[in-house]
Amino acid sequence: MTDSYRKPTAFVLDDEEKNKPKPRAKPSIEFEIENSKGELVALPDIPIGARRKFRWGFILVSALGALVSLWAGFAITTLVEDFFARSRMLGWLTLGVAALAALAALAIIFREIWGLLRLKRIEYIQLLSTRAINLDEKTASDETIASLQSLYANRHDTKWGMTSFNDHGNDIMDPRDRVKLFDRLVLKSLDEESHRIIARRSRRVTLLTTVTPAAALDILFVAAQNLRMLRELAELYGGRPSTLSTLKLARMVVSHLAVTGGLALSDNLIQHVVGKGVLGRLSARFGEGAVNGIMTSRIGLAARDVCRPIPQPDSKKESLGSLLRELVRFGETPPTP
Amino acid sequence: MVKLQKVLDGGRIAAAGLKDFAAGLVNPTLRLGVTGLSRSGKTVFIIALVHALAKGARLPLFEAKGRITRAYLEPQPDDDLPRFSYEDHLARLTANERAWPESTKRISQLRLTLEYEPRGIFARNFQSGKLHVDIVDYPGEWLLDLPLMQMTYLQWSAETIAASHKEPRATIAEAWSKHLASLNAGAPANELDAVKAAELFTAYLAACRKDEVSLSSLPPGRFLMPGDMAGSPLLTFAPLNMSPGQDYPKGTMGELMERRYNSYVNKVVRPFFFGHFARLDRQIVLVDMLSALNAGTAAVQDLKTALTQVMACFRLGANSIISDLFGRKIDRILFAATKADLLHQTSHDRLENILRMIVDDASTRAEFSGAKIEVAALAAIRATREAKVHQKGEDLPCIAGVPQAGEVLGNITFDGIREAAIFPGDLPPTAAQALDGTLQGQLKFVRFRPPPMKDKEFPHIRLDRTLDFLLGDRFS
Repeated sequence: MTDSYRKPTAFVLDDEEKNKPKPRAKPSIEFEIENSKGELVALPDIPIGARRKFRWGFILVSALGALVSLWAGFAITTLVEDFFARSRMLGWLTLGVAALAALAALAIIFREIWGLLRLKRIEYIQLLSTRAINLDEKTASDETIASLQSLYANRHDTKWGMTSFNDHGNDIMDPRDRVKLFDRLVLKSLDEESHRIIARRSRRVTLLTTVTPAAALDILFVAAQNLRMLRELAELYGGRPSTLSTLKLARMVVSHLAVTGGLALSDNLIQHVVGKGVLGRLSARFGEGAVNGIMTSRIGLAARDVCRPIPQPDSKKESLGSLLRELVRFGETPPTP
Repeated sequence: MVKLQKVLDGGRIAAAGLKDFAAGLVNPTLRLGVTGLSRSGKTVFIIALVHALAKGARLPLFEAKGRITRAYLEPQPDDDLPRFSYEDHLARLTANERAWPESTKRISQLRLTLEYEPRGIFARNFQSGKLHVDIVDYPGEWLLDLPLMQMTYLQWSAETIAASHKEPRATIAEAWSKHLASLNAGAPANELDAVKAAELFTAYLAACRKDEVSLSSLPPGRFLMPGDMAGSPLLTFAPLNMSPGQDYPKGTMGELMERRYNSYVNKVVRPFFFGHFARLDRQIVLVDMLSALNAGTAAVQDLKTALTQVMACFRLGANSIISDLFGRKIDRILFAATKADLLHQTSHDRLENILRMIVDDASTRAEFSGAKIEVAALAAIRATREAKVHQKGEDLPCIAGVPQAGEVLGNITFDGIREAAIFPGDLPPTAAQALDGTLQGQLKFVRFRPPPMKDKEFPHIRLDRTLDFLLGDRFS
């Protein structure tokens, strides 16, 4: 708006004019299409690593990588040439296989890049939605909603929520409320699914730790289960998990855990009781399993904070307690929240 | 004397609070105070609230709505009050010649019962899952009486007379001022003079309320809206030039007026307050900012004064075990700028800012006492839709609807049939400008006729958020 105030004006619509087809007489009137400070949220804490300007290690690895790929390229080329020298048929076959391998390598690289970009995009949406909720900003809110709608466009599990959200597209509400409405209608169903994922993985970790014969093996199992949980969670909230992006996600989750004090005192107490207390007395292995399960739940909750495009206020976050209750009840059919 | 009165009042609140607590054990009840000066939209808000809940309208931001299984009207709890005629009002709104409810002339009450699915095992098995929402509708003018409870006749006279010397009141008050100057408080009482003074004073108050000036702080309220007290001797008093410290013996004009003022406060104002406002749980304060902005700076300033004085009468603050037993306090207040549908949504933020400034004193006090407050631009029934007008290379954000017959903007007089797109002018970017006079003549808000129903619902603006704030936590 400018410094000078605009004068009040009226534009009467005559009935004849209303029925007249376009183009309308000037000035033209365009109707909006009609169809049928609260709690603050915080972005997941991820410390920004100090960026080192120059790293010899990086150069060493890149140079070695370049050497290996040069060698591989050379080896493959000579191989193909050798085969051509022996027989034309074999030569073409080898060339085809090599081309196929190159194609697969390219596809993998693209997938990795796409996965990383998607991760970046979700981070950006988190930033936007935090702005929209905390500052009640219209532009941020509109952009958040638009990005999320394109993110969840072709999924069947969000369809119902998206449809009911779109029903309210023309209602007048504050930017903050619109983001919260999207959160409630669309993301809440995903939260329920993520709860199931975390609970299932935690139970499995507990079970595997309990029955694994060798102590060294269960570390591997736990790590594998956790990574798979991360992938599942990322995919659920719209990520494209690939190897690199899962590793990056894992790093973000670990640093988020470290910053938010994932090893809180109260949780430690639970671990103490569960691990070394009653359960531990019953069976040392089972006690360890329970501790690993609790750890998995905690990692899962942290991963959810990192993956969820709209951060939640603390009061609405699920506590570890509800997951733990399910963990102890394992063997029963998983309750649906 | 004043102290004794305070003790008595406290006792009254405590006794009523204890009774409420006992009743609330069986039937949980929420007393929703719909407060607002006259023409602020109380009746429309109540109709819209009942209609939206009873018909299960679209209220996306009212989270608890999913758990409400049934909503219906029940006979009101107080047998001595008439029932709010919801059906008549609704019929008037939805008839062919759709019209807003007439201004409320008497007090009425309604009880809306909400059945819901409680959360938690204990609540599901041991609670009724019912919530009664009691709402009282009354003429907004009467609200202006509440500050009189804290004032003596002497103070009130002095304040009223001082206010009437300032513009724009001075010109309106001319006839009454002339008569006032001819009266002597020490002279023997003369009934005819008293009646004449009351008549002129009432005429002055009524003139102050006209659209062109739109003033708000006009006590006593029964002078403007006597209800069933028309012609009662309780209403035949007016301010007098009294000198403080001087004694007015029995039989003088001053003594007569003072006596009548005191009986007005004790027999009319106090019962009204203790009957309906002393035990509220939640409060929504409806403020008609737009009429005041239409009329100009003086009206906005006057609205601020009136609201500040009225809000000082309510008991605000967070509740504790003791206040649960002996009179609950209002723990949530929503200040709503009503008729937000007369503005494009891009201006709602500015409207809310101006409202924040108007209710600043009241909301600071509320926040200090621990009550939760919120401010919203609200339209319980949205009469317009939004449009953009392209003119001279510029987009004007407009609202479109059918203006009421007789409304004027510029050189256009509306006939109540044709639709029009209105640009009401820009609200100031900073709230303080609403008080400094730069806006004079820059704004014109036109009243619209009620909208036709859409899918058997009334369109609204932020009614859902309002309900969520006022009622939402009672369903968990």
